[in-house]
Parts: sequence; structure tokens; C-alpha cells
Amino acid sequence: MSYYEQNVPPVRDTRLKMGDSYSGCACDLVECGRSGCLLSQGRGFWQANACQMALSLMMATTVENSAIVMHAPGGCGALLHSLSVSSAKGKAQRGKAPLTVPWISTNLTEADVIGGGERKLRETIEFADKEFRPEIIFVVVTCAPSIIGDDVEEVVRQARTHVSADVVSLHCPGFRSRVVASAYDTFYHGILRGLKLSPTPWVDFRPINSADPDGELFQKKYLYQKSHTVNIWNATSIGPGDEKEVERLLNALGLKVRFFAEYSSRDEFRLVTEAALNVSMCNVHDDYMLKYLEEKFGMPYVIAGMPIGFEHTRRWILQIAKHFNLEKEAIALIDSEEAVAKKAIEPFVAQIKGKSVLMCGGVVRVGSESTALKELGLKVLSIRAYHYDEGAEEIFEDVAENLPDTPVAVSNQIFEMTHQIKMLKPDLVISHNGTQGYIAKLGVPSIQLFNADGTFFAYNGIYQILRRIVFEFKNTSYRDRLARHIKLPYKKSYFEEDAFKYIKK
Amino acid sequence: MSDFIERPRTACALAGALAVIGNLPDVVPIVHTSLGCGGNLANSVAFGSGYLGGGYCNGGQAPSTGVTETEIVFGGTDRLSEQIKNTLELIEAKLYVVATGCMTEMIGDDTSGTVSTFIDEGYPIVAVSTPSFKGDSYHGYDIVLDGIFNKFVPVEKEKDHKLVNIFGLVPGYDPFFRGDLEEIAKLLKSLGLRVNTFFTPDQTFENIISASKASLNIVFSRVWGVEFAEKFKERHGTPYQISDLPIGPEATDKFISDIGEKFALSPDEVIENGNKEFYGYFERCADAFCDQDLKSYAITVTNSNYAIPVSRFISTEMGWVLTDSFVTDKLTDSQKEALKSEIPLIFLTGVTEIAKAINTNHPRNRAQRYFDDLSPLYIIGSTLEKRTATARGAKHMSVSFPAYDRFITDRGYAGYRGGLHLFEDLISQFMSVKS
Repeated sequence: MSYYEQNVPPVRDTRLKMGDSYSGCACDLVECGRSGCLLSQGRGFWQANACQMALSLMMATTVENSAIVMHAPGGCGALLHSLSVSSAKGKAQRGKAPLTVPWISTNLTEADVIGGGERKLRETIEFADKEFRPEIIFVVVTCAPSIIGDDVEEVVRQARTHVSADVVSLHCPGFRSRVVASAYDTFYHGILRGLKLSPTPWVDFRPINSADPDGELFQKKYLYQKSHTVNIWNATSIGPGDEKEVERLLNALGLKVRFFAEYSSRDEFRLVTEAALNVSMCNVHDDYMLKYLEEKFGMPYVIAGMPIGFEHTRRWILQIAKHFNLEKEAIALIDSEEAVAKKAIEPFVAQIKGKSVLMCGGVVRVGSESTALKELGLKVLSIRAYHYDEGAEEIFEDVAENLPDTPVAVSNQIFEMTHQIKMLKPDLVISHNGTQGYIAKLGVPSIQLFNADGTFFAYNGIYQILRRIVFEFKNTSYRDRLARHIKLPYKKSYFEEDAFKYIKK
Repeated sequence: MSDFIERPRTACALAGALAVIGNLPDVVPIVHTSLGCGGNLANSVAFGSGYLGGGYCNGGQAPSTGVTETEIVFGGTDRLSEQIKNTLELIEAKLYVVATGCMTEMIGDDTSGTVSTFIDEGYPIVAVSTPSFKGDSYHGYDIVLDGIFNKFVPVEKEKDHKLVNIFGLVPGYDPFFRGDLEEIAKLLKSLGLRVNTFFTPDQTFENIISASKASLNIVFSRVWGVEFAEKFKERHGTPYQISDLPIGPEATDKFISDIGEKFALSPDEVIENGNKEFYGYFERCADAFCDQDLKSYAITVTNSNYAIPVSRFISTEMGWVLTDSFVTDKLTDSQKEALKSEIPLIFLTGVTEIAKAINTNHPRNRAQRYFDDLSPLYIIGSTLEKRTATARGAKHMSVSFPAYDRFITDRGYAGYRGGLHLFEDLISQFMSVKS
């Protein structure tokens, strides 16, 4: 049975060869990833992090006109207050109504944990449907109901027969995977099983009438448009600035661009198949969905890394252009864009040449940005990827070739990052959101690896990254002073040992 | 109908425990759950409580067993032992608190048994049971205080007759807990007492240890921390006094008098100075406050700790017309009974049900020529009330969890100074639209 037919999605750990605990070099990481030895590695000491539920919620809150039912004890949705605030902002930035997502917790109690929570779930779904009149209800299934074995899919199946919203279940118990990126598969699994992904006649289009003298013209127009439309798959780390930049470039090649799955509505999801090509912006985000759309609807897809820095952007655009036989045009576009951008970044490059940097965050982004920054004359001291899976292989083969001596760790652990920063003493840390406070307290300049308010992709992206680095170096007094007053929770002896001593092979 | 909750204004018992641990000096949690709980739950307070932040070793630094499917099937105590051992080796702390979550409680891990082997070896460590299905963050507050003060802190027969402990304000879920505690401590100190606030930056681990020497526990909550204070009394022999958090001169005068009487200390000087300070500023505000006609109807939507104090302050000191006070905690009937006062309370939690109740209690003008509208209206609640207020054309300010639309450092509303701060913040909302 294909994964797509299963009620509950697979986690990354079962679907791909992957891992979250590693220290070594890029070439060994690629090897270890291939052989599967990464899977068996873990740690003897862990610090808390996020889980696949957190990222699933992050994605669900962006979907327009939706409501969320947390099938969980009362605590699991606590993050939703802040997530729905930031998604409302994201909606506003994309010209959509900045509404926050209504959500309800089934509030499982001790009695429910013993007696089952199915009745409660049914009543909550029905209430959410009547109260909020959403187009989509996301049913988010967390650890407790997964352990007691509530038959959520049966409740959802029954609900679908009598609630007006489409019901999408997201099975994301944290204990099933330590890897947060599993959430991408969870979310897409829910979407592909719970929503209609093809247009409805008379709702989305008027079927061609063979007696209509203009029918043939309509059909030609429709087919032409479809054959020049690409779907680009975004994620929470990709902001409207990034979307505008890649849209601008593909528009220049005569392609129409639409973005999925975040900030889409039920009506837009129905039209997802009305395009010639699906394009990923990150190797570890959406292969699960893109492969499904190919399998089910015959839509081709391109997964060609992340368009960060000149080389990766060139590759990314060319892969898309190749599909449309627009390579000649693409090369002309890229050459002209590069010429302008390279001139623009000159003053920045001169100021940051030779600075050392530590890179921390999502596996594809850190890998891509590291090689891009090396090209521009920065010294990459070490790369820390939050997880590693097969999808990132191409990126890390590239890292192995371009930065063969740079130590690579697979780690999202703050204590290991702290150790590395204290020992390597980088001039700059480029790191994932959620770690910036810790780095500031160590007195080291840092910038965000991504930020939905900024632009990081393609030509404007590299300009903005460099501009931000220069800006960061302009005044570091805040951190210098702050760090003098911080007591770290780690014992001194740890800093005399290997940063990765708790990794178990 | 099921007891589902729309947008709960609290998280789980574990979250409450982490909020306490993360704000105590030199105390570090060991979260016995999958990796997500510790980060997600600490973050909800780190951002939702006026951007309180993570602190010494909480949030993304909190040691966690990170249980996976393997532990769910085969048990997580081996992982827990290993995590404790390595935490003791790596993390500097004077007390480690192992807190459980849903999955490890459901599979029946013998957490306290595992922890007791470390206790026997002499390590400063306690275990608390804090799954979400047992209660919300306010319950977690009670549970973890019980674990720390009634299980770890040694009994002290000899009492310090001038030492008091303060409880009841729930870190994070009372977003102004630090500012409030500091102001209360300042007042009690000027009365001649010594004060353990536990959660303010001036406190050390010594304050926690010395708690059992205190001769009185003051609990600023009629419902939270009361059960704990009762157990504290049984174990340490320290009586407790429940008080509403005093905001503004009238309430603070009474509070100081009550405590003064209890300790046979004269409250006169403290009261006189406090009033002089308060009215020295407050009287100057009268010009703008009255000339600009800032008298309002008021609705409060807060947790149970803030409902009565805030309602009283705006009614008595500011002369606003209070129409509804919503209490958003999930309470038992006896807890609701304990909150009886001259201020009638409405017990609702959901954002939508509260907005509906406001519209039912105070209907909008349906094209009547003459209409006695509830206007001007001020809704004092959480960030969740912001859209409700906008829809009613009301002013709004957040004082209750979740508070995302303001930044809080040492702000507090307790005492004389706190009353001024509350007044200042409320009125600033009128002034901030001017340009």
C-alpha cells in the first residue's frame, strides 16, 4: 500500500534515510546518510526543541478560512496564539484578509484518556463547523489520542458526511519523530487526502461546448495558459519578499507563477493541478507532495535546491527553464541579473571579506548559503544542520566539494551550538530563528538565517543578506555588554571536552 | 455537550511547572516527554506573556528525555536515568526538577522511582507529575510548588518572625508577576518585614531554602496556590493568608493595615508615604483626564487573580463604570464560590462566547433614533480581546495572558506605584493615536 493511501502518514524516519545526530565532514555525512548509519545515532543528553506538531500548526494557520481542532489535552495548542498572529501578518503581506485562525481544543481529560476521546472529537468538529463556518477544519492529532488509539479517521470520515467544511486530519504526535521536518509530510498528507485537488466544472470553469464557435479558441487559450503556469511550493521560512523575487524572475521568462501550499484557500487548492510544472524551493520540504501530484495527476516536478546565492539561483532557474525549452532566454536573464547584482554587492563584499561565520539551521538552507558565502570570500568555520535526510544529498555533495575541510554537524541542540561558538569564536553566526537570543547572550554578532519579513532568495536575496551582515557589524555594543552579565547553565568542564561528546554512534 | 475549550488561555500542567521552574534561581527542569513539549510550552509563555523570554535554562536549553516511539513501546525510564545522569554532569544547578508529560504518564513510567535512586545518592532532584490531562498551567503551578517547597525544602522548626513568603501570582500566566512581586516586597520591607518573592531577579536559591522559616505565606490568589499553601502549613507549620492583589491606594492601604496588624507593626508611615507618592502624581493627571472626557464604561476579561483587583481599581480610583468582569480560568464550583465579592463575575473562556455575551448583555444600536449605547467602552483583557474591542469600537489594553501586543519588563500594577502604572497605561491608549 502506498503511503498516500494510508490513514496516518509516515514519519521521515520511516520514509527516508535520515538522522539528527552527527558530527564530522560533509563527505562522510553523505556516505553515512546513504548507508543508513545516521538512523541509529542519537544522544545521551538532549535539550527540548519543537516537534512535528508545532510545524504542522505553523502551516495550517496560514490556510485561508480554516479552523483548527486540536484533538489533544488542553496544553498542546498553546503555541497557536503566537502562530496565528504571525500568520495573520503573512496574510496581510500577501493581500489577504489578516484574520487569525479560530481554534478549539478537545481538552482531553484523564477520563477521556481512559475512555477514549472520539465522541468529544466529533462534537468539537461539529461545533467548529457551526460556530466559525470555515472552509477547512484541520483536525490535529497529538500524542495522547495517538497512544490511546482513538479512531480519528473514522470520526473524520463520518464528519465529512454532514459538516459543511472540508475536514483535513493532521497526525503529528511528537513522539513518532524527533525530526520537526516530518511535519511537511504530515501536512501534505492531510491536504492530499482531505482536499479536492482538481477543478470542479461550472464552479471553477465552464466546460467547452462543442457547438460554441469560439470553443476551439477557448481551449487553445486555456491550454496555452496552463502550459505556461508553474506552481511554486513555499513554506513558513519563505516570506513574501522571496516569493516576489522568484516570481519576478520567472515572469521575465514568460511564465505565470502561483504559490502553494501556505496562504492558499480551498478554492485555490482545487486549481493546483492547473499548471504545467511543480517547483520546489527546498529539497526537504515538499517531495512528498510533488511526487503525489506526479503519480496521481501526471504533473512533472522540479526539485533543484534552494535559490540562494548566484550559483544555486542559476541552477534553480535553469532547471525550470529546461522544462519549457527556455534555456537560452534563461541564460540571458541570469547573466544580466548577475551583472547588475554583482556590481551592487561589491561594497558589501569588500567589507566582509575574510570574516568567519558559523552556519546553523535547516539542512538545505545552511548547505546552500555556506557555499554561496564562501564564493563571496567569507570563511565558513562550521555548518550545523538541524536534520539530514536523503533529500539534502545533492546539497551536501556540493558542500563536500566546495568546503571539504569544514566540519559539519547535524544538530539543533543549543548546548552544542554554545560550545562551538565559544570554541570557534566566529565573527558572525547565521542562525535559525529561535536561537538569536542565545547567540546574543554569548556576545557574538548574528543574523537570521531566514525571516519572513526579509528577502533571502535569488539576486535581491543575496544583496539583502550581505546588506544585513554589514548592518550587523555596524554596532555590536548591545551584545558585547549583554554577554558580560550572563551566566551560562553549562559547567566549565564541558568546554574542555568535545562539543559532540553526547552523540552516540 | 463536551467540555472542549476555544483558544484556551493557559496551557497544560507541565507548562505551568516550566514557567515556575524557569523563573526560579538556579532551578533547572528535566522534561520527561518527547522533544517538542519543553520547547513549545516554554515558548508559549516566553512570547505570550509580554515576551518574558526563556531565562537561565528553560525553553530550547531545557534538558529533555526526548522520548520516541521506542520509549513509548518499551518504557522510558532507562532514557530518563541516562538523561538525569548527563544533566547532572553537564548542567549547573542547585535543584533539578523532573517534570512529566502526557505520553510518559500514559505509558506508566515509574518516574518518581527512577528519580528516587538519584535522591538516595544525594543529588538535589525532585519529580513532579504534570500531564496535561490532569490539569492546566494553574494546576501545574500548584503541583510544582508542592514538589519543590513541600518535598525538597527541609523543614525548619525555628521560624523567623519577620519573614514572609509570597505565592499566588503565577509566573507567565500573570504577565506582571515580577513587577507586582517587587512592589509588594518593597511595601512589606518598608513595613519592617523580610520577603521571599522567589521569582524576581534579586532572589537567590537561598530564598527558596529559607521559605520554611517564614512565619506567614501571603497568597495573592483566592484559588491558585491555596491547596499548596494548605500543604505547606501541614508540613512546615507556616500559616497562610489569602489576599486580593492590592492595586491603587484604597486596596493597598487595607492590605498594609491587615499585614501590619498581623505582625503588630504600625502601618501609618507606609500608608502616609504611599498616598503622598500616589496623589503627588495622580492629582496632576486630573487636568487631562477630565478635560479630555476620558471616563469610560469598562469590561474586564482576565484570569481569576486579576479580575477583582483590576475591576476594583478602575471603579474606585478611576471612577469608570464597570459593567462586566469575565473570569477566563476553568474553575470548580467551590473555586467560583471563593471568588464571591461585591463585583459580580461571569465565568467564560472562549473568545467567541465572551464576545457574544458582551453583545447579548449590551445590544448594539439597531437603527434606533435614540439609543443608550455602552459607549465609550474600554475592554481590559488579553490580546485575544483586541478584535472583540475593535468590533465594538472600544479601546483595548492587554493585562492578561496571552499578551502579545505589548512588551513587559518590570511593569507591575500592584501597590501605590502599580496603580499609577495601570492608570498611565490605560490612558496612554487614548493618547497614542494622536499625531
